[in-house]
Amino acid sequence: MATVDLRGLVKRFGSFTAIEALDLAIADGEFLVLLGPSGCGKTTTMRIVAGLEEPTAGDIFIGGRRVNEVHPRDRDLAMVFQNYALYPHMTVGQNIGYPLKVRGLRGAEREAQVRAAAAKVELEALLHRRPAELSGGQRQRVALARAIVRRPQLFLMDEPLSNLDAKLRTGMRAELKHLQRELGITTIYVTHDQVEAMTLADRIVILNNARIQHCGAPAEIYARPANAFVAGFIGSPPMNLIAGRIEGGRFRHPAGGLPLAAAPGAVLLGIRPEHVGVVDAGAGDLVAEVFSAELLGDVTLLNLRAGPSMVIAKVPPEGMRPMGMRLGLRLPRERLHLFDAATGARREDARPKDARPEDARPKDAP
Amino acid sequence: MRPSVPERAALAGLQLLLAAFVLLPFFWMVSVSLKPATEPFAIPARLWPEAPTLDNYVTAFRPEFRTYFVNSVIVSGATVAITVTLGLLAAYSFTRARLVLITALMSLVVLAQMFPHAAIIIPIYRMMRGAGLLNTYAALIIAYVSVTLPVAIWLLRGFLGKMPVALEEAATIDGAGRLRVFFEIVVPLARPGIIATAVYVLIVTWQEFLFALSFTATREMRTLPVGLNDFVGQYGIRYGELMASSVMVSVPVIAVFFLLQRYFVAGLTAGAVKG
Repeated sequence: MATVDLRGLVKRFGSFTAIEALDLAIADGEFLVLLGPSGCGKTTTMRIVAGLEEPTAGDIFIGGRRVNEVHPRDRDLAMVFQNYALYPHMTVGQNIGYPLKVRGLRGAEREAQVRAAAAKVELEALLHRRPAELSGGQRQRVALARAIVRRPQLFLMDEPLSNLDAKLRTGMRAELKHLQRELGITTIYVTHDQVEAMTLADRIVILNNARIQHCGAPAEIYARPANAFVAGFIGSPPMNLIAGRIEGGRFRHPAGGLPLAAAPGAVLLGIRPEHVGVVDAGAGDLVAEVFSAELLGDVTLLNLRAGPSMVIAKVPPEGMRPMGMRLGLRLPRERLHLFDAATGARREDARPKDARPEDARPKDAP
Repeated sequence: MRPSVPERAALAGLQLLLAAFVLLPFFWMVSVSLKPATEPFAIPARLWPEAPTLDNYVTAFRPEFRTYFVNSVIVSGATVAITVTLGLLAAYSFTRARLVLITALMSLVVLAQMFPHAAIIIPIYRMMRGAGLLNTYAALIIAYVSVTLPVAIWLLRGFLGKMPVALEEAATIDGAGRLRVFFEIVVPLARPGIIATAVYVLIVTWQEFLFALSFTATREMRTLPVGLNDFVGQYGIRYGELMASSVMVSVPVIAVFFLLQRYFVAGLTAGAVKG
């Protein structure tokens, strides 16, 4: 068990900057997910913690000890790789026991620990197989068992579920979370899958363009994304970002508008698909036309064209609408997020106004 | 798409033709080795001797042959061991080092094998004489290592380059040091490539003639290819014994090749297809 502290971390590959001045403190026992699109620096950050890459600048502390110059072996951590990285010439048992063998543990004691680790992930029956004879899910378990066998103070997981099919991934996700809680070992988990991040994390760090965009609990990130990038990255489908302007206490858009007391300027109005109200044409804040509709079973996703913007609305399954149908969109004031159009930063100055006479004037024509 | 029956028949016919073309000299070698001394030049020529005899083998398997054989085994064996060991270490460095200088060195290695043997034999001879190594195993082993090493590095580099680095990283995090990673992860996984390279080096050194002839002076130091020359006399060539010796020289290499064939093919094409 350990805390991890990254201070002023910078990593450049030639002229490319993978990480720019990253500061991050991870609590003991925390499940921290690094989330971001490919090339955002999340894997590099993890590899620096592991000791597989050296930072260009900055310090790494594990359990309060500065480990910049410490060999990976002496950092007391275990890592699960995206492609499992099992040793193909060793059996499952030898794979799991390798970290123990390297550390000089032998004989019955090693075997007992291998068995215990294998039992945790239900692999006891396969100890004599080779990795090539296993399914993807089983290989993933071997990689996990190899990581937990030594009870390190830190787990690093690099997209461990991305090579599994969707059904298996959901099952493994639950197992991973359970295992991590049970062992209580600090975990850094890298993924580009926001569903994985939301379900697994105690805290999510969203990275983009080598910088931390938002760092917080899943619910907080979902409820109050720090900027337009985070808003557009979290949620499936993600938050609608409608480009418009604030003028004279109103949000103005080619397809309509609504009263919104905020400093004037170009903005992105954010609203989650589940909060978009679909009403009859002529009512609501924006006029729109059905572009396509997708029935997912439990919900229907309506892709709506509102002037130049595409807006997705998540409605009950019976809310199916024919293509081309005109309707109105109601944007509940308390559900709106406002972002600066130029910087993407969240704006907190929006004050939804109650209906006043000025709102009665005709809506801007589409 | 599966070829049609006539197509497959045609393909099989072409393969047979090619095989016959390649194998005819071998067949002729075996055939002549079994012919009595009177027969090799009989007219009309016979594909297979009328009265096959092992006399040629008995004569060819003289004490000198045994000396040459032992010499060949020592020289080839040592060359294979040294070349593969050095080649593996060098190839590993070439694939894992990130220095520009090291990449440039690889071009030098490739360049080194471009010189024909005839062009380098005199400088090597002078160096061996200077070092007092002429007519020793060391002279041949050093010369063979120097000519086979570039190709060995090239072969092994291709093989190691396709091995996922993640395995080595996993072992590093599991606690293994650099040497341990090399011997416990890299070498076992590179085994097909190592065997393919070893077979290549063996075939090259086993049949090498020019260096062996030039750097050895006495019968005691000669290797098999030079020994075959014994049957080429000033006034004639004793084909029967020559061919019998040739068969005996070829058999060990052919046997090794057949035993390790699957590694050889796997080694040369490894990583070509996602495994």
